[in-house]
Amino acid sequence: MTLSFCEKVTNQLNSGVIVLDLDYRIVFWNNFLAIHANKQFKDVCDLSVYDVFPELPKRWFERKLNGVKQLNSPSFCSWEQRHHLFELPHTRPITTDSHYMAQNVTFTPIEDKGQLTHICILIEDVTDVCHYQTMLRKTLDDLAMANRIDGLTQVYNRKHWEECLAQEFARARRYDADLALIMFDLDHFKRINDNYGHQCGDMVLIETAKVIEELIRISDTFGRYGGEEFAVILPETGIAGALDVAEKIRQRIEDIALLFNEEPINVTTSIGVATIGDDDFRYEDLIAHADQALYEAKALGRNQVAVNKTLIACV
Amino acid sequence: MSAFNLNEDQQDCLQELINVAMGQASDQLARYLDTFVDLRVPSIEQVDASSLSITLNDKTLASAIVSQGFFGYEGIRGEALLVYQSQDSLQIADLLGYEPGELSEEEQLIDISSILTTTFLNVFASQIDNQMSYSAPRLLSASQNPLVEHVENLLFHWDLALKVKITYRVTDFSFNCDMILLIPESAISNIKSVLDRILEEF
Repeated sequence: MTLSFCEKVTNQLNSGVIVLDLDYRIVFWNNFLAIHANKQFKDVCDLSVYDVFPELPKRWFERKLNGVKQLNSPSFCSWEQRHHLFELPHTRPITTDSHYMAQNVTFTPIEDKGQLTHICILIEDVTDVCHYQTMLRKTLDDLAMANRIDGLTQVYNRKHWEECLAQEFARARRYDADLALIMFDLDHFKRINDNYGHQCGDMVLIETAKVIEELIRISDTFGRYGGEEFAVILPETGIAGALDVAEKIRQRIEDIALLFNEEPINVTTSIGVATIGDDDFRYEDLIAHADQALYEAKALGRNQVAVNKTLIACV
Repeated sequence: MSAFNLNEDQQDCLQELINVAMGQASDQLARYLDTFVDLRVPSIEQVDASSLSITLNDKTLASAIVSQGFFGYEGIRGEALLVYQSQDSLQIADLLGYEPGELSEEEQLIDISSILTTTFLNVFASQIDNQMSYSAPRLLSASQNPLVEHVENLLFHWDLALKVKITYRVTDFSFNCDMILLIPESAISNIKSVLDRILEEF
């Protein structure tokens, strides 16, 4: 069989070209398909596309091609929505984990003298794109996560924690809901660092974060506010509930049995609690109130929970 | 006034071409989708890059935007943005005649967008003895301020654009969307010469 000039060129393409008649029988395919589908054109010529590719979602495919026929306009199918339409092997079986060639597929109407006669299917191999895009997405997810997490304690960092508070604050304001804030600071932390070294201090911070994370409820947001100060956002929580959680935190930290170089390390914490009030217009107000209470707890002798002054009447 | 502004005759001519194309497109879509499709009279205006963000600002609540490039002979080219509100796209699979679960929500949006864009622009192209090719439609990520963000990313390429807005409604399926065609500065003069040719023929 002698090939026309156009066919020879088509055979050089690194994309698949299939031409179907209006009964979806294959009337042409290029070398790309002969290689990737491992079938010579003469073996598939005049066969139904469904017989050659039984994996095609028949109803979907028919609806898609109907659109092309009726509207005389192209139609597209991207790997981002459907990884592949035709089960073809790809050129990177070793270095990627996908089984089949990721594809962008275009369906276009072919007219002769104003009359639709065929449908051309163009298959582009986008396995590389798909692979790199997937890696990029994973990296971005990891980065976004790293951006929210405190490197030492693996709880939320201050920046992310504060963004969460801003959101919860706005929500509580909008729906007139309860919102409580707990801030706590490890007592005499500097002494631990001075007496046992910073490695010990780091260990204390890590262990504290770990036990508190296990303690708080799933709806609460726990983060490291700075240095040895931690904070918990408690949505839909009134002062009684917040005090309950605060006391549990105090108790839990007092109870941690920590050893550094086989020497027991005793840790306690001072805790400030505040709840959203009518005069709090910004989330920073809430932080300031919890902070005031925290200093109150320190002033009263540490290892205890204090409530913001404006709330004392309610307790 | 910029040299790129259409004069009154050109503006009328374009408006008329679009009206005719809308009529034919709505007819074709109605037959394909088997339901009545209403295309509202478009607005045609020239916008500069900075004011476009402002004119599009009312769309910040858009739940999804699909973009598709189009290009024809004689340097006619641009980008179509299909803008959806969240409640407008619940019954697309139904409208397209697919079974539920046969295609993802993203694929539904992309499919209907491509159908609306290509049907309208094919008819429009035939009005001006042209023929359009299309890039694959892409769902732009739906972030908080998606349309404006996307448009701001486009600002590298142009200062001025011709903006044509057409609203589609399919009442039976509570489907609405806006199609915004943006024709960049470099293609406006090409459109103008096509319009001038058509005006001369009359």
